[in-house]
Amino acid sequence: MKKLLSLLLFTVLVQVIPAHADTSRDKIIVVAHTEESGLTLSQDQVRNLFMGASVGRTLHPAVLPPNNRTRSLFNTKVVGMSESRVQSYWAQMKFTGRRSSPLQVSNEADMLRYLSNTPDSVGYLTADTEIPGELTIIYSTD
Amino acid sequence: MTYRANQYKMGQTTSRRLYIQHYTRLKSAIPDFKHRNGASVIMIKIHRLVAGLSALALATLTQSAFAEKITENLELSGFARVIGGYLDHDERQFEGYTNEVSFAEQSLVAVQPTYHFTDKFSVTSQVLAHSSSDRDSGVEWLYLSYQPDNAWHFRAGKLRTPFFIYSDSLDVGYTYPWVSAPAQVYNNYLFSTFNGASGSYFYSGSELALNLEAYYGHFKGDLFLAGTKVDVEAEVDDLAGLVATLSHNNLSLRMSYHQGHNDTVIPAVELIKQPLRANGFNDSADSLESSGRVYALQASLSYDRVNSFYKAEWVKTVTGYKMAPEVIGFYLLGGYIIDDWTLYGTYSKSAYSEIHPANELPQTPTGNDSLDMLSAAYYQVFADTPNGSLESYILGARWDFRLDMALKAEATLFEESRNPSGFFTDSDNEDNENAMLYQVAWEWIF
Repeated sequence: MKKLLSLLLFTVLVQVIPAHADTSRDKIIVVAHTEESGLTLSQDQVRNLFMGASVGRTLHPAVLPPNNRTRSLFNTKVVGMSESRVQSYWAQMKFTGRRSSPLQVSNEADMLRYLSNTPDSVGYLTADTEIPGELTIIYSTD
Repeated sequence: MTYRANQYKMGQTTSRRLYIQHYTRLKSAIPDFKHRNGASVIMIKIHRLVAGLSALALATLTQSAFAEKITENLELSGFARVIGGYLDHDERQFEGYTNEVSFAEQSLVAVQPTYHFTDKFSVTSQVLAHSSSDRDSGVEWLYLSYQPDNAWHFRAGKLRTPFFIYSDSLDVGYTYPWVSAPAQVYNNYLFSTFNGASGSYFYSGSELALNLEAYYGHFKGDLFLAGTKVDVEAEVDDLAGLVATLSHNNLSLRMSYHQGHNDTVIPAVELIKQPLRANGFNDSADSLESSGRVYALQASLSYDRVNSFYKAEWVKTVTGYKMAPEVIGFYLLGGYIIDDWTLYGTYSKSAYSEIHPANELPQTPTGNDSLDMLSAAYYQVFADTPNGSLESYILGARWDFRLDMALKAEATLFEESRNPSGFFTDSDNEDNENAMLYQVAWEWIF
């Protein structure tokens, strides 16, 4: 009976722990360097903010490079478009003179550094990232 | 706006027919409609420009892909496309394509420098070199931009006309899935730039985003229809438009209204109008009137998913002129994305409204030579004005093999469901035409 319980516990742990670890690595958080405490945005606002819209306050988005895993997760879970469609969108914005694409940083560490040092900046990271005190999570995926 | 080109096209065809059939003696009086005069000189210029710009563009690419910063304040970007096409028809032409493979109809290269005075003020230009002798190469764009914050953007100078979804990025093939955007909507759109000012506002609430754009200006220059340059100097004053886009999640609705006052004079039509008035056929002369207000309406719905996208766009162009047909065009687009590949299909259709000539002139020969000639010329104008409809089915694939490049292959079946649709050049206007167009494209942005 004890053996059976241990086996059961082991099976549950094996299934739960990695699944849980994956979840926080697969979850996207949107982090802003803002004075406004308690600021939260809807998925639609985050999507539009990263597509060049105003959300009624000064926030300058920064993004990760194409082929970056976190960027792909952000495209899939928040923007809802493939990388090629995102590229087409920004080409259209640029060559019709409407908006220019957000600032691009090279990796997650640079993103964190940039956000920490730049007031009114906003960027995305995975949920397993340790967030310093000056930054606020304004959106996270389910 | 559509009407102008149709009318001209009619004018050109009419003048050619009359010329050959009955009116050789009018030869000296008819202005020269052949716009290909000096074409070889223009082609040489274009080739030089293309060569120069290609070298510049390649030099840029070797340094870095995408928006090269030349200095702290100067940014250089651009785009190029090489398109090859073949029309499977022994006699007709479609947008310049024939039954010989051609790369010269739609290929182009453009560079776009932007100079930032401050964070908010900048000046942007776009210099374009086109392989088609119908398209002028040169400065396509030159405007001052003021962006006080994320929401507002003001521009003034030479701008592109934002009629329909892809109107102002039609030269940038990278921005859409097709090799050629549906002709029924995008070839009835006639001029790509205007001089004036525009303001836009883009705000996202928690459930709904609103993008508004308004512009005002005037246009003077060449008109195009079905990829062919129309040989009149067109003038449109009080050109104004409003574009509103509402979006919720990945669903977006774009609606727009555009209007202008058209003042273009078409020599071929004037040539018939004058004798009509002189002989008291005022209703007939009035029915050839070509100045006045024109407007266009547009509505589209787009839905994006990670692995697929869907779009429907509908446009309608209306004029107050008697002989100008109202034209409606629309397309339905669906695309499926697998990794770097996009497979897409499109159905599109355009239809002109019916037109009716005035009922003054005799429709059968009277024996009075000059009256018969005038009648023939008048009715020919109406007979040549497109009032048919065209349907097309597009199947294609796009491969985004690099971040800044794409290859495309596309097959389109064009079918006239009522003739003349105005799209087939050299059509006899007696039978419904149909043809397959095969195209390949290489798209590049930098």
